[in-house]
Amino acid sequence: MGQTAFMKPGNPYLPEPGPDCVVSARSLVKHYKNNDRPALNDFTLDVQQGEFFGLLGPNGAGKTTAISILTGLFPADSGSVRIRGMSFQEKEHEIKRILGLVPQDIGLYDTLTARENLNFFGKLCGISGRKLGERIQQGLEFARLTEHARHPVATFSTGMKRRLNLAVGLLNEPQLLVLDEPCVGIDAQSRHLIHEQLKEINRQGTTILYTTHYIEEAQELCSRIGIIDNGRLVEQGSPVALLQQSGRGNLEELFLHLTGKELRDT
Amino acid sequence: MLKIFAATTKELLLLRRDRTGLLVLFLMPAILVVLITLVQENVMELTGQKKTQVLFLDLDQGDLGKSLQKQLATTTLDLVLWDEGQKDIADIQAAVTGGGYQVGVVIPKGASARFTEETARLFQQGNGKGKPREMTATSVQLFVDPGIMAGLRSGVTAQLQMALTTIGLEAKLAQLGGVLAQTMARAGAEPEQSPLAGEKLPALFRQPLLDLQEHQGDSGAIGASQYKPVQQNVPAWALFGMFFTAIPIAGSILQERNSGIWIRLTALPVSPLVLFTGKAVAYMGVCLCQFLLIALIGAFLFPSLGLPPFTVSMHPMAILLTVVLSSLAACGYGIFLGLACNSYEQASTLGSTSVVAAAAIGGVMVPVYAMPQVMQRLSVISPLNWGLTAFQDLLLRGYSLSAILDDLGRLLLFFAVTVLLSWKLAGIRK
Repeated sequence: MGQTAFMKPGNPYLPEPGPDCVVSARSLVKHYKNNDRPALNDFTLDVQQGEFFGLLGPNGAGKTTAISILTGLFPADSGSVRIRGMSFQEKEHEIKRILGLVPQDIGLYDTLTARENLNFFGKLCGISGRKLGERIQQGLEFARLTEHARHPVATFSTGMKRRLNLAVGLLNEPQLLVLDEPCVGIDAQSRHLIHEQLKEINRQGTTILYTTHYIEEAQELCSRIGIIDNGRLVEQGSPVALLQQSGRGNLEELFLHLTGKELRDT
Repeated sequence: MLKIFAATTKELLLLRRDRTGLLVLFLMPAILVVLITLVQENVMELTGQKKTQVLFLDLDQGDLGKSLQKQLATTTLDLVLWDEGQKDIADIQAAVTGGGYQVGVVIPKGASARFTEETARLFQQGNGKGKPREMTATSVQLFVDPGIMAGLRSGVTAQLQMALTTIGLEAKLAQLGGVLAQTMARAGAEPEQSPLAGEKLPALFRQPLLDLQEHQGDSGAIGASQYKPVQQNVPAWALFGMFFTAIPIAGSILQERNSGIWIRLTALPVSPLVLFTGKAVAYMGVCLCQFLLIALIGAFLFPSLGLPPFTVSMHPMAILLTVVLSSLAACGYGIFLGLACNSYEQASTLGSTSVVAAAAIGGVMVPVYAMPQVMQRLSVISPLNWGLTAFQDLLLRGYSLSAILDDLGRLLLFFAVTVLLSWKLAGIRK
């Protein structure tokens, strides 16, 4: 647990993020209207360059709120976020240029084809000309959708949509890729393909922040895992270190130990 | 620019794929403009702007009926003569009560004789002594549909009353001329010496001394045309159709907001204003096509339906500018609806209700001057009223661009305000 000691909520001795720190969140608090319980409560996190960081938590734990704030979708009530040392208040545009987001809900136009979707989002990323053509082609190959490039997304299976959803998030060759439950509702083949591709992207140097509630998925992919519950990061470390330090047989046991066995229907 | 172009192209692609939605956008105002113009042609007929048919039954077959027909020939009443041998008062009453005709006139049997007799007795009284004798008026019977509009009823009654008054006056003058001639003869004077021209007296009295000269509203406007429902309805219902595009625009934004698209767009290095501009440009193209379609229907289909054609003879650039700014105002409203509402159901209900209300108070359905004072004052808050007033100034009153700049300014301001509010809401909706 030594690795996580300085990250415990309320610790006044939080170090300044180092030069390799890609994501730095400090004491984030977020309340939603009509909900007394905070969605995030003193949430603190550092993700280093080249890490594959998995944010694990039960339903309603605050995963999506955390990554929404970390990607600048909306601000926290208090606390600070820095991406590569830049804050959203000062350099929102610069941050968004190095950021790739793959939302949990499919972020694609159903009546447009795969190519048209890639073309549109590519242009919005500021890519044009030959480079855009190359990026679209790479995106189609990445998503294994070259043959379906001219088909409307509405005709795609969930797995195909998820793969294209990921390919769109990679169009701007992001330094930080944030994925919110990217493998929900897809078959084993598509999941396997996405996993392999994410590992490859990470090997090439892209920092990945990944939320999931599939524990095995996090164990397979992530170099470091953070477990979030009730808006707080309750534990973090590499899967191996977490198991060793906790003395639990597997991550699921640890997860249930930390987050409890009560159903989370909120 | 690349991003605006990308956003516009994407919107146009989405529109092209939604053929049913596109068809509704074009068909709805096209059908409305044809139906409403046809209906309003009939309303104009009923309100006296066109000839109104009046059943005419002359049971007397004397001079009174002939004189009345002659007098009414110059009015806006179109007499439908019924044969007294086949029809009677009960028939005319039934025809009017049944709604087949709105007005019926009957000259009762013996009316001419009674009228001549009473006129002859007019000056046969006691040599200037005592009270004038009571005259018995000869009645012409008028049957009026109880459902008739008040304006039409008074218009028809006034014209009939005027005709009867004229006939009565002419008869009195003729009688007076005769009496004068007899008096002159009794005094031994020659008829030529009379200060009044004897039998020519009625013709003399028909000469007008006062005249009512009618002018169009503004004397400075060149090319002003008479008020016609076609010139009013084509731009009015085109505007209505344009503002209805607010609903699909709102729908497209809500579709993005309710999927992962909005999150993705928010995370991209692009301002919501760029996305709004893309939508506005694409839907402005739709609005321009809508106006063109409705104008073409007005110009080419209306004549085959017995309606006058829609014409744009002056200031085509000013009309184009009005269409563009009205379209922008409609797009701005649609974008605002898309951000202000939380679901498509909300947006479509609020959008359709507000556009119909704005059209109603803006003078699209009923001209503003025909509304109560309160509504006339309210009409100035409707963007459809600004667009419609600009169109009317150009198409009906013959004004030039400079005269409609205030309305165009309001439309532009409305677009700017709705887009800025939407931008603010986009920040909140994150």
